[in-house]
Amino acid sequence: MNRPPRALDPRAFPGVASAAVFALVFLYLPIAVTTVYAFNGGEQALVWEGFSTRWFGYVLTNTAILDTAVTSLQVAAVSTAVSTVLAVAFALAADAMRRRGSALASGLLAAPLVIPEIVLAVATLAFIRMIGLTPGFTALVLAHTTFCIPFALMPVRSRLQALDGHVFEVAADLGATTWPMLRRVTLPLLTPGIVSGALLAFVISMDDFIISSFLSAAGSTTLPVYLFGLIRRGPSPSINVVAVLLLVLAVLVSTVTYLAPRRKRTSR
Amino acid sequence: MRATRRAPGTLPWFASVPALVVAALFTIGPLVVVVAFSFMTRPPTGGGVVFRFTTDAYRSFLFTKDFTGQLRFNPTYLQVFATSAMQATVTTVVCLLLAFPLALWIATRSPRAQGLLVLAVTIPFWTNLLVRTYSWMLVLNENGLINRVSRAMGLGSHELLYTPLASQLGLIYTFLPFMVLPLYSSLSGFDFRLAEAAYDLGAHKLTVLRRVILPLARPGIVSGILLVFMPALGSYVQPVLLGGGKVLLIGNLVAAQFGDSRNWPFGAALSVIILAVLVAGLLVVRWWARRTGTTVSISL
Repeated sequence: MNRPPRALDPRAFPGVASAAVFALVFLYLPIAVTTVYAFNGGEQALVWEGFSTRWFGYVLTNTAILDTAVTSLQVAAVSTAVSTVLAVAFALAADAMRRRGSALASGLLAAPLVIPEIVLAVATLAFIRMIGLTPGFTALVLAHTTFCIPFALMPVRSRLQALDGHVFEVAADLGATTWPMLRRVTLPLLTPGIVSGALLAFVISMDDFIISSFLSAAGSTTLPVYLFGLIRRGPSPSINVVAVLLLVLAVLVSTVTYLAPRRKRTSR
Repeated sequence: MRATRRAPGTLPWFASVPALVVAALFTIGPLVVVVAFSFMTRPPTGGGVVFRFTTDAYRSFLFTKDFTGQLRFNPTYLQVFATSAMQATVTTVVCLLLAFPLALWIATRSPRAQGLLVLAVTIPFWTNLLVRTYSWMLVLNENGLINRVSRAMGLGSHELLYTPLASQLGLIYTFLPFMVLPLYSSLSGFDFRLAEAAYDLGAHKLTVLRRVILPLARPGIVSGILLVFMPALGSYVQPVLLGGGKVLLIGNLVAAQFGDSRNWPFGAALSVIILAVLVAGLLVVRWWARRTGTTVSISL
């Protein structure tokens, strides 16, 4: 191991390393506690009675939890697919509309990131009622698609910016027209960004609670909405397990999006 | 000769239309409806609105009618706003204090370590909000980690869960990654040998911090503040789950109007007030950014 060339002399800021480690411990301690207690065999969330995976078995056979998980997966699958297609199309066209207010358009797409979620939630509920829809699966998909677009867009755009534009010029000079170019050149090169974007959209949709809680109806309750109801009744072993399963999803998605661009870069 | 002068590899402008239509319909549409609803009349029973113009919803934010029909100033809702602003401010400040050393430390590691540490910050970021909040219920519970340690040290049990402090802690925990990531991205490209050089040339370390590192981090600090303060102001989950109903924040007040209280116009008016406060804040930031020449982007 050679010393990193950019390492700052630690004498200059003696407290920085310990403060940084403290912040990391702060970030991981609570989720570590939850993870440990998910493997508790006892009847109570916080009274340790030995290692066991029995609550995983319980959760994975609990129809109420599974039904809401299926609803969440369905909403997330549709919203992810639609928002990813829309985001890729937008990213590829934004270049051509630079003068037509691409900044304004990007701002519009990013708006769900800045509007407090509770405001967007009640506003969407009011809007859904206004256009004659009722809360339910369709309303969930429409709202999720909207707030997934900025997340699907971010990695696609940064991938597009990182690409060497000459590739497209060469392909065009070799006679590639719009569709063959898209299918054979652009989309393959953008794949890592598209995959990252789709994964982020998926996890954002799976995790959403506030907007979904206003748009869920009986029969279309998503997992987070159901989980919130459980949590309000206080800690329980099955919540620990659901929490860990959702944590695994976050770890998977973060790791894949972290590795995706790297692998491509080294293979080129 | 190609018909268009589009850059190769891009799509014609109309490919952007579907995304914009969806965003306009389901972002702008709801905001327009919520502004409209805030000026409408509450139906005698149930939720929804009656289409009759009134400013009652806004009036009831500041005033109540007493039994003689006189309007009297009522600071209750203003206090809820103040509490929310206070919790959001504390959240922002503590997140900044925790995130700054972490971002600086990550930015001064080797490139490989930087990647892994950023991943370590991203994992909690992508973890379900309910899971992160619930984890604090386990830590703060009477049988939780803190109380066990406290009892083992002979300090006895403390009521930690379902307090305003727990709600505040939950907010800080939830939003910390939102501060670390933009701070890190503004610091990451910097060659820290320059800071070291300044230090070697005799600059005091505080001078290096103030004259070299802080100006560098400024865009990250501003976007971090925006990304933490704005969502924290409307937070809903942490006060309910960790504050246990003892904390009423503006987000909970809005939710209640569309839930149990069934007063949609008032809930809509509250939403409009929140949005107005945020737009005002954004305008101040933009004015400041123009004046100081700082680029501010609200992205991670």
